[in-house]
Parts: sequence; structure tokens; C-alpha cells
Amino acid sequence: MKKFAALTLVWSMFVAVTFMALKAMFFPPHVDHGPHIEEQQWSTDGIRGNWDREQLLRGYKVATEVCMSCHSFKYISHRNLKNIGITEAKAKEMAEALDLGLNDPILSLLSPEDAKDSYGKEVPDLSVMTKARAKGPDYVYALLTHYVSSETFMTEYGKQIIAGDGQYLNKVFPGYRIAMPNPLSADLVEYEDGTEATVEQMAKDVTAFLTWTGDPLLVEKKRLGVIVFLYLVLFTFLCYKSYKAIWAKVKK
Amino acid sequence: MNKFLQWFDERLPIVSLVKHSTTEYPAPKNLNYMWNFGSLALVALVVQILTGLFLTMHYKPDVGLAFDSVQHIMRDVNWGFLIRNMHAVGASFFFIVVYIHIGRGLYYGSYKSPREVLWWMGIVIFFLMMATAFMGYVLPWGQMSFWGATVITNLLSVIPFIGDEIVIWLWGGYSVDDPTLNRFFALHFLLPFLIVGVVILHLWALHHNKSNNPVGIDLTKKGDFVPFHPYYTVKDAFGLGVYLIPFTLMVFFAPDYLGHADNYIPADPLVTPAHIVPEWYFLPFYAILRAIPDKLLGVVAMIVAIAILFVLPWLDRSKVRSARFRPMYKVMFWTFIIDFFILGWVGAKPPEGDFITIGRVATAIYFAFFLALPFVSKIEKPKQLPTSI
Repeated sequence: MKKFAALTLVWSMFVAVTFMALKAMFFPPHVDHGPHIEEQQWSTDGIRGNWDREQLLRGYKVATEVCMSCHSFKYISHRNLKNIGITEAKAKEMAEALDLGLNDPILSLLSPEDAKDSYGKEVPDLSVMTKARAKGPDYVYALLTHYVSSETFMTEYGKQIIAGDGQYLNKVFPGYRIAMPNPLSADLVEYEDGTEATVEQMAKDVTAFLTWTGDPLLVEKKRLGVIVFLYLVLFTFLCYKSYKAIWAKVKK
Repeated sequence: MNKFLQWFDERLPIVSLVKHSTTEYPAPKNLNYMWNFGSLALVALVVQILTGLFLTMHYKPDVGLAFDSVQHIMRDVNWGFLIRNMHAVGASFFFIVVYIHIGRGLYYGSYKSPREVLWWMGIVIFFLMMATAFMGYVLPWGQMSFWGATVITNLLSVIPFIGDEIVIWLWGGYSVDDPTLNRFFALHFLLPFLIVGVVILHLWALHHNKSNNPVGIDLTKKGDFVPFHPYYTVKDAFGLGVYLIPFTLMVFFAPDYLGHADNYIPADPLVTPAHIVPEWYFLPFYAILRAIPDKLLGVVAMIVAIAILFVLPWLDRSKVRSARFRPMYKVMFWTFIIDFFILGWVGAKPPEGDFITIGRVATAIYFAFFLALPFVSKIEKPKQLPTSI
């Protein structure tokens, strides 16, 4: 009987812990998930997702005219632009406008030492930035569009956060204090296709560009993935038929 | 056999060996799909070794170059993204397959006499796999690589008296650094071949006693068996297809899903990530480690959690193998499986509030499974066993 009692005890512990786990899963306890990051629509979403070349070129403009004054894109050269349908001649022309060769990595003129002097820390390379944050491009977009003044922060959150020297307030940055000053303001760049350069538009375009720098082969992978998938479905079907045929004579 | 092959075979019996283990190897005819996972694990291992070999041709185990070389593979090497993503996703899928394979052994009592040594070899493979996977995750030299390596290697410092010296010896310095990365690369290359060696022993032991089966009784009649080839080769080919479909979808559409975003940030010894989380396949054991307040005992509990499988054949005293005929063991088994999932889930949570309680109780239940087995297997009344399949 003692053994049964022990087993019953272990089992009720099990039921209790399962219940607790389920409760914690569906009604998460007071864990700070950080600021809410809104989901955005991207042209690359989904299996049929594709690059929006016009958007990438707008993003390229923001990246090279704004971001590049401090940030580098060391895994990207202008040659990579060929994979979104830019001709080699055009890519070369774009590179030369920045005093770069076709195969040169896109590096900022700001040296890491100067960056450290100006911002107190190293300025991160942006090539894989959308992959290096949990919410990916949605986070990068949110970061670029959620800078606030300390007054606005005070009225919205009812608490004061003091931004120290060389610090700025951002509603989605963990801890709210960020070393990067707000890089975007309306009409900071002039788009060649006539799109209005609002902060949201530039943030969206440059984030799409960062998705591309993070994984220039993204679209090719999706296309290839579909073909491999279809091949495997056929392969598996044929294997299943062979399996049934070979086993047909085996008595159960 | 043609004359040349016969001549050759009389001198080196490779042809006989292949025949012996394929067309002449008797496999029970009642094996269900759970028996697909052994051969799948072998395929997963071979995929890891081949993709890994090609990766080493482009990877550079140097703290200044490692991160860049992985990006180089992903961008510039022909099909580099494919071999790299297959290797990264393949590691996770290898663990999924092996966990199911172990679970099948637990459910159908495959660890019992006369297959104890076969079972042992499996546990050795599992240990080697974990060491290999851990060191492999360090190689991309991202933030999680560095901090995961720091946290896990530091566990050895709990060894009494010489722990700190051992950790320094392991690191090749006073922190995880270039020498550590370099030797982890060497060991990550070596260990898979040790795994292959133990896999051969695992298969040797298997072929000596033949497969267990879902009914769990010893099969004696010739009609209970079919030759492994073509019957199980074709069934395994079908299983392989079913396996490759989700594998491919992950490789092409969500290669980073099972990874951690922080590993796209180059390793920085001066910046600690907010949450240091190991790869998902370590989470249940990580939860056990954290459930014990004392560091030394926590490490011991984590190791014992796996090592206890070595004595499982003797903890379970029931003569009946398959859980189909063991009403109490069946309940225990599923309790254990759910508990294992809970441990994995809580292992990814920060150790605070309810999560601590859940982790501790789940750990207690994990060990209770093994401690209760000797008693349960004695008082349990198994159902009537059939005399044949």
C-alpha cells in the first residue's frame, strides 16, 4: 500500500506541474516581454515573396546617404546588386559615386576608433542586422520609427527616463536609452521615383534593404525550396508505392 | 556470385558481409514506423559528416575570421548556403530522430536482456552527439556561441580541488578565446568519427541479437521474419522521404527558426546577452541543472539524468518488454515523456517565479520515473502475452 501511496504522490505532483506549465503557457506570469513590436508587411514574406526592386533602390539611397555616415555593410559590395536585376554598368556607376569599386565592401568612412570616441561604443555593422534581432525587420522598422523626446515619453509612460550624455530615448529599445541619435527626419533624402520621403517610408525602405543585405539569396532559396519540395513529394510517393508493392505478399 | 567476386570473397569476405546484413539478415515482420528512426539516425549522421566536411573547406577557426567565414560560406561559396543550412538544421533534426529512437527503445523495452550492451552503445552515442553539437555551436563565433561555451565550460569548475585548473586547461587560457575555438574545431571534426565507430558497435550488437519488436516477445519461427533487404530498405526509403520533406522546408524557408538571433552578432566578451540559452535539444537537461540550487549538485544531477539510462535495464525488473502489455509502465512512460517536454519548455524560460517551481517538480518527476521502476515492475500485473506475432 505504501508503494501505491508513493506512486499516487508522484502522479499528483505530475498533474500539478502539468497544470502549472499549461497555466504559465496560456496565461504568462509577469514576465517583461519588452515593448510591443508591431508586425509589418514585407514584399519578401511568404513562399511567393519577392524583392521589390524599387523599394530596395530607395532603401539603398537611405542606407548610403544616411546610415553609411557611421555604419558599414561589410558583407555587401555593389556587385551583389546584380542579383536584384541591376546591370553591371549601373552598379559600377553607383559604386563610383561613392568612390568605391564594384567589388569593394560598402564601408563607412567613419573609422571604428572615431566611432568609439563619438558614441562611446563600436558602431555595429548593418549587413546582418535584421537577422541579429529577435523580431527581425519588424524590430528594425519599429526602432527607426519610435524615437521620442523625454517630454513625450513622460506623458505617455508617466515616468521619467533621464537620457545621459550621448543617449537618446527610443520606445522599443530595451531599456529605452540608445546611443544612436534619431537618424531619420522627413525629407532627409530625395527619392528619384518621386515617393514622399516620410520617416515611415524611409524606415520601411531601408529595412527592406537590410533584409536584402542580410540574405541576398533569400528569393532564390525560396524558389529552389519549392522545386526540391515538389521533387521530394514525388520521391516519397514512389517510395510509398514501392513499399506497399513489395510488402503485398507478406502475411500479417 | 560471379567468379571474380567469389575469388575475392574467399580472401576478404565483404560480399558475404553485405549479403549477411541485407538480404540474409532476418528482421521481424511486425516492426512499426517507430523502427524507421534507427536508419534515419544513420542518414542524419552521414548528412552531418558530409556537409561538415565541405564546410571545413571554407571555414576558418580563428576568432578574427570565424564569423566572417560563415558569412562568406552563406554568400559567396557555390551552394554554401545549402550545405551550411543543411548542417545547422541537420543537427536539430538528428536530435529529433535520436530522441524518438530512444523513446521507442523505452516504450518497447528494447534495453532489456539480451540487448543491454546495444542500449549502452546508444547512450554513448548520445553523449558523444551532445559533445559534438555543443562544440559545433561554438564555431560560428556569434554571441550565443561565445556565451554558451563560457557557461557550459564553466560547469566543470565545480569539480572539487582541480575544477578551476581543468577549465583553464580546457580553454587553453583564462577565458574562452582563440585557442578554445581552435581546439573545439579540431574536436568537432574528430568526434563524429568516434560516433561512427560506436555506431558500428551498436549495429554489431543489434545484428547479433536481432531487432526487438512491438510485441516484445522473442521470435523463433522463420515465418516471423522478412529479409532486411528489400523489405526494410524500401520501408526506410519511404520513411526517409517523409523525413526529408520537413527537413527541406526548414532548410530553405526557416533555417534560423531553431537558432538564436544573438548568434548573428559577432562574439563580444564585453557584452553579455540578456538571456543565455543553449540549443533547444539541451533544454530539458539545462532545466535539471538549474532546478538544483547547488551548482555542484546541479551538474551532477544533469549528468546523472542521462547516465542513469545505463542502469535502466536493471532498474526495470519486469520480464515483459513491450509497454503494450504493461498497464502501469505505460502510464509511467507517458508521464515521463510529457514531463520531458515540460522540462524542455521551462529550460528556455528565465529562472524566476513559477518557472523555478515547475522546473524543480518536473526534475523530481524525471528521477522518480527511474526510482519507481524497480517497485512498479514488481507489483505490476502484465497482460497475457501472445505466443507469437
